[in-house]
Amino acid sequence: MIQYLIILLDETSASFCHYDNPKKERCLIPLEVLRQGIRFGMMENLMIQYVYPDYELPEEYKDVIESIDHSKIKPLADDADVLVLDAPQEINADKPVVLRIKKQDLFALTDAVAKMLKSVPRLNVVLTDVETFTDEDFETYKKVLAGFSTEVKKLYVEGKSPQLNLLTDRMMLSQMNNCGAGDTTITLASNGKFYVCPAFYYEDEADSIGDLEHGLDIKNKQLYKLGYAPICRHCDAWQCKRCIWLNRKTTLEVNTPSHEQCVLAHLERNASRELLQNIRKHGSFLPEQEEIKEIDYLDPFDKRDTWQ
Amino acid sequence: MAMKRKVGQVTPEEKNEIQTLFERRNGLNELAKILTADNAELYEKLVKDMGETGSKFQDWWNQMAEKYQWESAENGNWEINFDTCEIYLVTA
Amino acid sequence: MEARNITFIVTKDCQLACKYCYLVGKNEKERMSFDIARRAIDYILDHETAFEEESVVWDFIGGEPFLEIDLINQICDYLKSEMYRRNHHWFNSYRFSFSTNGINYDSEKVQRFIEKNHEHLSIGITIDGTEMKHDLNRVYKGSEKGSYQSVVRNIPLWLKQFSNAATKVTISSADIPYIKESVLHLYSLGIHEVNINCVFEDVWNEGDDRLFEEQLMQLADAIIDGVYYEDYACSFFSENIGKPLDKILENQNWCGAGRMLSVDAAGNFYPCTRFAAYSLRSKKPIIIGNVYDGIDKNKLRPFLSLDRTTQSRQECIDCEVASGCAWCQGENYDAADTNTIYQRATAICKMHKARVRANNYYWNKLYRKLELEGMREEFEANKPKSNDVIC
Repeated sequence: MIQYLIILLDETSASFCHYDNPKKERCLIPLEVLRQGIRFGMMENLMIQYVYPDYELPEEYKDVIESIDHSKIKPLADDADVLVLDAPQEINADKPVVLRIKKQDLFALTDAVAKMLKSVPRLNVVLTDVETFTDEDFETYKKVLAGFSTEVKKLYVEGKSPQLNLLTDRMMLSQMNNCGAGDTTITLASNGKFYVCPAFYYEDEADSIGDLEHGLDIKNKQLYKLGYAPICRHCDAWQCKRCIWLNRKTTLEVNTPSHEQCVLAHLERNASRELLQNIRKHGSFLPEQEEIKEIDYLDPFDKRDTWQ
Repeated sequence: MAMKRKVGQVTPEEKNEIQTLFERRNGLNELAKILTADNAELYEKLVKDMGETGSKFQDWWNQMAEKYQWESAENGNWEINFDTCEIYLVTA
Repeated sequence: MEARNITFIVTKDCQLACKYCYLVGKNEKERMSFDIARRAIDYILDHETAFEEESVVWDFIGGEPFLEIDLINQICDYLKSEMYRRNHHWFNSYRFSFSTNGINYDSEKVQRFIEKNHEHLSIGITIDGTEMKHDLNRVYKGSEKGSYQSVVRNIPLWLKQFSNAATKVTISSADIPYIKESVLHLYSLGIHEVNINCVFEDVWNEGDDRLFEEQLMQLADAIIDGVYYEDYACSFFSENIGKPLDKILENQNWCGAGRMLSVDAAGNFYPCTRFAAYSLRSKKPIIIGNVYDGIDKNKLRPFLSLDRTTQSRQECIDCEVASGCAWCQGENYDAADTNTIYQRATAICKMHKARVRANNYYWNKLYRKLELEGMREEFEANKPKSNDVIC
């Protein structure tokens, strides 16, 4: 069931996920489209998330934006609910931060990223080149996660509660919690059309799933649901983004993740397992959560003979 | 007209052994049609292999005949059905 | 024995322009070069661990493959020597397979090729039945002239060379009234195995299922009354069809796409020939790699994780006669509302149900007859085989 409506306020709205926004020319969403989008959200009981560009919006937009309860995803700190960064920064923020980063930068700037854990309530690290990971990169990523794990554990032992999506989400979850594009979340672009997520819009504007005039029309909508994803429904890397756009890009199917996405998610899952065990050595922690089981694979696709 | 009669059966594993040898022998025979002595290395390998495979093939029949004591005939030969593992005696 | 099917699309040309042919993009230009074939073979044989199946079927398809007999001959020679030179496990278990229209089967070059590779050949000549039925669809390119006479003259030679040869018959709407006489005609030509199926495309008209059922019932009577069941097989009648399927235990995909591999003249790899551009009406091809860069394994994941229920509508999952209801992944993709292989096309539904009714009739009638004659046990031990070959 659709619960969230992402509204791209400008053609240059910041990316907050795996995709890059290729558009460089500022072009605000027409006010009328914005109004209709908000109206649609109200009628469908959707929680609205505005995605901002990196410049100040005109006053008349602010009034319309504030006409409904919402959250703001912004590349500028001011009144953002979620702050999006493209590089690690020394900041003190009281809001969740999304850090979009390429693997080589993450590997090179591990300390800077780890440092951010102390100064933000939640850090979402989003890799922007998942599909390029090699076996060697996986090994490096494993080490990077171990480094983060040490830092997170230290903070927990000190009585703090840092959140790092790559490590702490899986500890807290009891079921899949993925991106939800096309299933729980849709996106409205400035042309008045709906898309599975912003990446689908930026990739091909013709690839819409309805518009404000005629409503939603998601063909094969079951394929965005977990139950229709053969690999994912047997998986317990519950923190995995399960990026629908990356799925389609790499395997041509929205319901099938790439090998790279699966391995990364499992390295995170396994690092979470160790982190949970290490924190628990220091006392009771998340007592209602079960241990994360030890498994002998990094890609559930390789175990398909056990569920096919 | 040839007469064919079932005289025994082998295990699936035994059948697999002879089927592999049978296939290999056919493969070698058809490879021999296109390989010439110009390709010395492969040609020598082939000639040696044909001899070895032929011997293994005959050894299999000898061992199985010994093991199962199939009925035989003066002008007859045995055949195997790869689908059923059944052994037939075929006489002229 | 598990076998990998590897298909060379050697040409997209054919002497015929069959009316039901799913190859919408046939042409005379796209002919495979030996260099592309060699690169494909080298890639495949270099990656032995990625192709673990015990056996291999090297399949040659067109268009009409025998139009390229010189190339095929060169490819097969290269395959044999390379499998051997590399000590590849497939040298001990390989076949060269052809589906041909049979027109130039007796040509000197084709015959020389057959003589050279006889022990490893599987050749199917497509003949659709009686002259009338065959010529209804299988006509020469650029004319309405039927090809029956050009094919039937080669059947005796074919059967002499391959005594267990089988033929494949494709049924589309206009063919339904001729099914019975066509199968019996093929039997009369000496073909003991007739593999027959309805096309998967949405070609069926109102009432076709009833007509189809009637034809199959008549065919059932003719096979039983004529005692053809002892030595002849027709794949329409199978004891395993028409039963419900368990959601968990019988959840396998029907189609082998993704477990096969096709390569075309440009050197592109496909999960099956049906995903090449010349086979698709309304979708882009699904290319999973090429002979230069190899196979992108990520593109195979959807095919290899696909199961029956994930791609089926609830009606199909709950269907009481589901077993034997086939699908073609390529047609599913081509007919789907989005670019997915996960939406099962169901145009064949009513034809399958009609087949099941006639099939039930066939086995009930046959077994009753055999029981009354005290022949059931003997029949069960020796019944002829047919394959549910559907592509």
